[in-house]
Parts: sequence; C-alpha cells; structure tokens
Amino acid sequence: MRPFHPLYIIEAFTKIVPFIPVTLATMAGTVLIGGVLGLLLAVGKLSGKKGLSAAVDSYIYIVRCIPPIVLLFIVYYGLPELLKASGININDSGKWFFVITTFSVLFSATMAEVFRTSYEAVDKGQREAALASGLTEFQAFRRIVAPQALIVAIPNFTNALVKLMKEGSLSYTIGMIDVMGKGQLLIGMNQGSYGLETYIALALIYWTLTVVLEKILGTAELNLSRGKKNLAFGR
Amino acid sequence: MELNTKFMKETFFIVMKAIPVTLEITIFTMIISMVLGFALSLKKIGRKKNHLVNFYVSFVRGTPIVLQILFFYSLLPTLLNYILNIVLKLNIKIFDINPIFYALAVFVMNTTAVLSEVFRASLLSIGQGQMEAALAVGLTPWQAMRRIIIPQSLTSALPNICNTTVNVLKSTSLAYMMTVQDIMAVAKKQAAFGYNYIEAYLVVLVWYIILCTVIQLIFRVTEIKVAQYKQGKRVKVLKIQGLRRFSYAGIKERAQVVWR
Repeated sequence: MRPFHPLYIIEAFTKIVPFIPVTLATMAGTVLIGGVLGLLLAVGKLSGKKGLSAAVDSYIYIVRCIPPIVLLFIVYYGLPELLKASGININDSGKWFFVITTFSVLFSATMAEVFRTSYEAVDKGQREAALASGLTEFQAFRRIVAPQALIVAIPNFTNALVKLMKEGSLSYTIGMIDVMGKGQLLIGMNQGSYGLETYIALALIYWTLTVVLEKILGTAELNLSRGKKNLAFGR
Repeated sequence: MELNTKFMKETFFIVMKAIPVTLEITIFTMIISMVLGFALSLKKIGRKKNHLVNFYVSFVRGTPIVLQILFFYSLLPTLLNYILNIVLKLNIKIFDINPIFYALAVFVMNTTAVLSEVFRASLLSIGQGQMEAALAVGLTPWQAMRRIIIPQSLTSALPNICNTTVNVLKSTSLAYMMTVQDIMAVAKKQAAFGYNYIEAYLVVLVWYIILCTVIQLIFRVTEIKVAQYKQGKRVKVLKIQGLRRFSYAGIKERAQVVWR
C-alpha cells in the first residue's frame, strides 16, 4: 500500500481554493447564456405553434441524450473548423469559450423545461383575474404570474445548477484550469503521486460548493414564498 | 469544413462492436442498484434517522462523477491488492481484473443513492392504508410488499427509473477513464489514427441518441404494461392503441372515455 499523507489534503486544498472563482465565473456565464437560450426555447414551446414546439421538443430530446463529454469534445474540435469555414478564427480564444458554449447548450435544454413547467404550474385563472381587474398583459405577468412561477422554479433551478457545476468539472479534459483542472495539474506536477489526497481535497471543495449553493437557493425560496404562506394562514 | 464520411461510415460499425460493453455496464448497474436502492429506501422510510445513509447520499450528490471515478480508480486497485494479497495472502492478480468491475462499482455507488431517493418517494406515495389492509386480509409483510405495494409504487417510480437509466448510459461515456473499452474509448482510438476527432465523436453522438431512444421506448412500453391494473378489463384493446401512439396520458384519457 502506498503511503497516505493526510496533511497533503490541506496543502492541496489551499492550492485549489483560489481557482473556485474560475469555476464560478464559467458557471455564471453558462447560466446567463444557457438561461436566455432556455427562456427562448420555453417561449417557443409555449407559443402554441405546432412546428415551433415540435422543433423545440426535438432539440430538448436530442440534447438530453448527449453525454456532456461527447458534446464538449465535438465543440472543442469541431467549432473552430466550422467557424474557420466562415472566416472566423477562434483557435486563439481561451478554453472557457468552448466550455461555456458546450454547457450553455446542455443547460438551455434543462432550463427550457424548468421555465415551462413553472409557468404552467401557475393557474391560468391568475392571469385572467389580473387582466380582468385591469392590469395590462405585461403587468399581469410581472406582478402576478412571474413571482408565483419563480417559487416553483427554484428547486428545479437548484438541481440544474448543481448538475451544471458537477458536469462542468469535465472541462479539465480540454485543458481548462478550473477547480478540477488545478487538481489534475497538481497531480501532474507531483508526477502522479498524492493523487488520492488531491482527489479528497477536490471532493471536499465540490461538496462544500454544492451544500452552499443549495442552502442559498433554499433560503431564497423560503423568502420568496413568504407571501404565499401568509395568505394560507389568513384564510 | 469537410467531414470524412468514409471514415464515419467505417467507424460507425467499428463502434457498434463496443455497444455490448456500454449496455453491460448500464444494465448491470441498474439491476444491482435497484436491489440496493430499494433496501436503502426501506431503511430511509423507517423512523430512525440514519446519519451514515444521509452522509453517503450527500457525498454522491455533492461530488462530480468524474471525480468519483478518478478517486476510486486510484484507490480501489491498490487497496484491494493490499487487503487481499498482503494482509490475507490470497495471491490474486488484482491488476489483471477487468476494469469494467471498477466502473460497475463506481456507477452502482452513484446510482444506488439516486434510486434510493426515487423509491422512497414512490413508496411514500402509496397510502399507509394499503399496507394495513393487506396485513389485515392475512398477507405476510413480504407478500403485501410484493403483491400490493411494489406494483402500485412502480407506476410512479418508472419515469424516474427511466431518467436514471438514461443518466447512467450517459455517464458510461466516462468509463474510458478507467480504460474500459466502451463506445467512447473505441471511437477515441479510431480517431487517433488519422486525427479524425470530430467525425469519431459525431458517430458516438449518433450512437448515444440511438441507444437513448431505444431505452426510452422500452420504458414507455413497460410503463403502459405496469399501469394496466388501473384500467380494469379493457386492457387488451387499450394496450394495442397505446403501443401505436406511445403516449400514456393519451391512453388514460381514452381509457376513461371507453370506461364511461
């Protein structure tokens, strides 16, 4: 049995922690782009036009079947070639570009479903009542439908976000230096030794990040659904 | 950009030969985890809070599967070698073990946690009265479980089991890190000869979509079969309609119309 050095876990931990912002930044970029894409997809699906919603459905279906690592490799090897044909050179752009592109595609499919289900979870009567009492369509959405849909969306969004973070660790395979990438780099610099200790440190970091994310969003959900609870008690 | 279509055609069939490996991992993982996950879910339903189970589920949920794969692949072989050969002196050639078993170990560990949650939710969706009534009629607890509770909870669990299976299938694409020769590994090897990476991965993509579709179709059919008990006697006609349209909700609607 090769020697195990518990102290190295701490050393690896302190070396990896500075790279948490990189992971979080790529996540934020993905959430932004993937979220907007997902919103557009959800709007397309809810539009009621048959062709459009069928197209959105097949997009979601196909994306759900793709293993993240396969898509990551396809984007990493394929996108520069594809864009070179149209005269754009992205070979020099950072790895984050490919990572965000890949995971935005994956995230948008999940988010489309999150948006759609949460919109549909709000009773139609809510919007109708709002319109009947004189609000405009936009006001009804902003003041009545959206706040209620948001509460329904948060648990699913949390799951999607945690999944995104965990899948995002794959970006080390194309050489991105985020939390996982730095861990791999450390193992490389130690000529492959201390592997176990580094992985434990990585596991601790990801685990903590997951728990913190879930806590934050859980609190947000509680805060947002406060209005709902008061109503229930008031009855 | 020009794709090497000749290479893609060849690779498509070469990759096809590796499909049994991918399916083997998926199917065995699902079978083993279903048994373990069910046992674990029964434990979770019990009144007492089990910190070890919570810890385990939280660990699996909180860490990426790549990390679990790398961690256990660097830990398990040396640990097994130490325990079996140095402590117990069994002289087994640990390093000749097919890496599929390590892959199975990691995926089972991961999937058991997910399935235990799925089963717990589906078991809780069955009213307490069902069990009590079954016991009152004179069934043993095991009979009540097998004949009354499980068939009912299966209807609500199946969509989630289908999702889990698809997720396991997708994560098998990471097994190449443990030198398992699945479709991903084979395609990678083919690509390396002539640097045809895009083509090879597109082939893999197509294969995953095909496999994924097949799995989902199988589950659709099973769902319809399992839900038959809800529909009384007219099951036969409905089953044929259902197969034609592959939509459970649609059948349910029609079933109600026919029933009235």
